[in-house]
Amino acid sequence: MKTIRIYGRTEFPGKVTAEALVSPMPLQGFTNVDPERGCTTERNHPLFGISYAGKVLVFPSQRGSGGFLKYGRGDHKPAAFIHTVASPINVLCYLQAHVPAMTDFEKDPMDYIETGDIVFVNADEGYIEITKKE
Amino acid sequence: MIEVKLTDEEKRMLQGERGSVRQTCMAYLVEMAQIAGAERLVDLDGTGDMHAPGINMSPYYSISIEELRELVANGERFAVPTFADKSPFPEQPPIDGWEQCNICSFRQQDVRQDDPAFHDKAMHREEFDLLRKMGMLTSHSCANYLTATYWPTIGQHCSWFESSQIPYCNAVLGARTNFDGSFATCFLGKAPYYGMHVTENRYGTMLIKTDRLISSDLEWDVFGYAVGEAARCGVPVLTGTTKPTTTQLQKFNSAVHTGGAVEMYHIPGSTPEAPTLEFAFGGKKPAEEVLVGEKELRAAYDYLNYHATDEVDMVYLGCPHLNIVDLMKLSVKLEGKKVKIPLWIMTNPWLYNVAKDLGYQKIFSDAGAILMSGACLAAMGAVPEGVRCIAVDTAKQANYVTGCYPEADAKLDVCYGTTDECIDAALTGRWHGEWR
Repeated sequence: MKTIRIYGRTEFPGKVTAEALVSPMPLQGFTNVDPERGCTTERNHPLFGISYAGKVLVFPSQRGSGGFLKYGRGDHKPAAFIHTVASPINVLCYLQAHVPAMTDFEKDPMDYIETGDIVFVNADEGYIEITKKE
Repeated sequence: MIEVKLTDEEKRMLQGERGSVRQTCMAYLVEMAQIAGAERLVDLDGTGDMHAPGINMSPYYSISIEELRELVANGERFAVPTFADKSPFPEQPPIDGWEQCNICSFRQQDVRQDDPAFHDKAMHREEFDLLRKMGMLTSHSCANYLTATYWPTIGQHCSWFESSQIPYCNAVLGARTNFDGSFATCFLGKAPYYGMHVTENRYGTMLIKTDRLISSDLEWDVFGYAVGEAARCGVPVLTGTTKPTTTQLQKFNSAVHTGGAVEMYHIPGSTPEAPTLEFAFGGKKPAEEVLVGEKELRAAYDYLNYHATDEVDMVYLGCPHLNIVDLMKLSVKLEGKKVKIPLWIMTNPWLYNVAKDLGYQKIFSDAGAILMSGACLAAMGAVPEGVRCIAVDTAKQANYVTGCYPEADAKLDVCYGTTDECIDAALTGRWHGEWR
C-alpha cells in the first residue's frame, strides 16, 4: 500500500499508529474543550462533539486560551498531536500529555492527511507516514 | 529532539544540588525547552505571573505542600516580582461579591460559589499564605497589567500567562514574554529562550488593512477577533485605526488572542517597537497583506452573536476585568437607574476597594447591579441557574461562555454588542443591539 512520508520537528518523542482526526480550523481550549468526554465544545466548530480519544489529532494551529492544555489531559487524550504551526501553548499541552507530538514539517500535513487515514507518527526519528483510507 | 545547553549552575540545579524544588522546576523548564525547540534558557529581569497556587505544574512535575512550607522556612523567594493572574485555582471563586455569586462551579450542582464553606476551601488559604511569604503579589486578575504600579520595561524578559496579557506585555509594553508563566519560571527566574524573547521573531509578518476606521470600543473588540482569525500565530501590523485607549487595548488584546494566538502586534506610530511601518517589519517587505474590512468585521460580529431570542436573562460586564475609568463611566450610566435583570460587573480585587471608596459600588448596588472581583463566568464554568440568554460586550467572553453548555437542550444564547447596548438590556430585559 502506498504511504506518504513527511519529515518534521519532534516536540515530544514516541511512536504510535492511529487513525487521523483532522480539524480544518485551529483548535481552541479552555471552556471549548471537554477532556472528560474527549471532544471540542466550541460552537460551530467542524469537530464539535467528535471524539478525539486515541486519534492522531491533526490541526493547523492552536488559538486562544492557555486552557488548550486540557487537550492533553485525562483518559480521552489523543494518541498524538500533528500540527502545521506551533505556539507556546502547544508546548504547555504536550507537557501535560506526554504523547508523540510534531510540527514544522517540510510539507504541510494538512494538505496530505484526511480524517480516517492511518498515520504512523514516529517522533523518535522525526517523521510521519500516512496511509490513505480505502 | 533538541539538546538544551545549560550553564554549570543550571546543571547543578537539574542534578538536585540546589534542592528538590529547584530540581523539579529545572526539569520542567528543560522539557519545556525541548518541546519548544529552544537551545537555552534566558534569565528573567522583568516580571512573572501564574495561575496560582500552581504548584502542580503537570502530572509529571509538581511540588508538594511540604516542599512549599520548607521553601518558606528557608526564606526562599520568587526570583522576579510574581503576580497571581486569576482567582485561586481550580475553583476560581470571586474574591469579592462571592456571597451573591449564585452559581454552581463548573456545573456541578452540589458545589456553589455562594456557599461559605465552599468559598473558604476554594481560596486555598494555606498555599496563598505561603506564596505571599515568597513574595507573590496576589492581584488575582486576568488583566494584571492594570493592577500593577510596577511594569516591566522595554526589552526586559518576562514570563507571563493569560491570553490578553501576552500581547499586552509584548506589543504595548515592549517587554518580552512567551505564554509560559508558571511556578518554575517565576521561582527560578528563567524561561526557555525562543519565540518572543528573540528580536527577529518580533517583527511583523503580515500587514493588516481595513476599509473602516477602527475607533469605537466595539470596533476594536471585533477587529481584534477578526485580526486574530486572519493572523493566527503571526505578528500582524495594524493600519487604519485610531490610537487606542486603555479600554480598547484591553479589548483588542483579549480578542486577538481569542480569534487567534497573536502574541505580538504593531501599530505604527503607537506601539513602542513600531515608530514607523518599515521599522515594524524590520526593514523587510510584508510577506502578506490582508484586508480586515467591513465584510470581515461583520462576519466576526455575526459569529460572536449567538442567539435565537432577544429576551435577555442576564448581563455580564468585565472581561477582561474592568479598569477604573470603565467603572466610573458605568457608575455615571447606572446612577438612579434600576436593572430589570441581573447585571454582574467584574473588576480586579485591588480596584474593588477603590471602587468602593469612590462610591461606585454603592451606585451599582442601588441600581440592583452586583460588583464582584477576581473571577469570570467562563472561568467558573457556569451561569446562574435558569439563565438561557446572556448579554456581554467582549468577544472573549462571547466566544468562551457557550463552551460551558454544549448540550443541544441546554444551549446558552449570547447577545454581543456595545457596553451601552448591554446596559440597555440590563434595564429593559431585551436586546436591541445591532451592527452599525
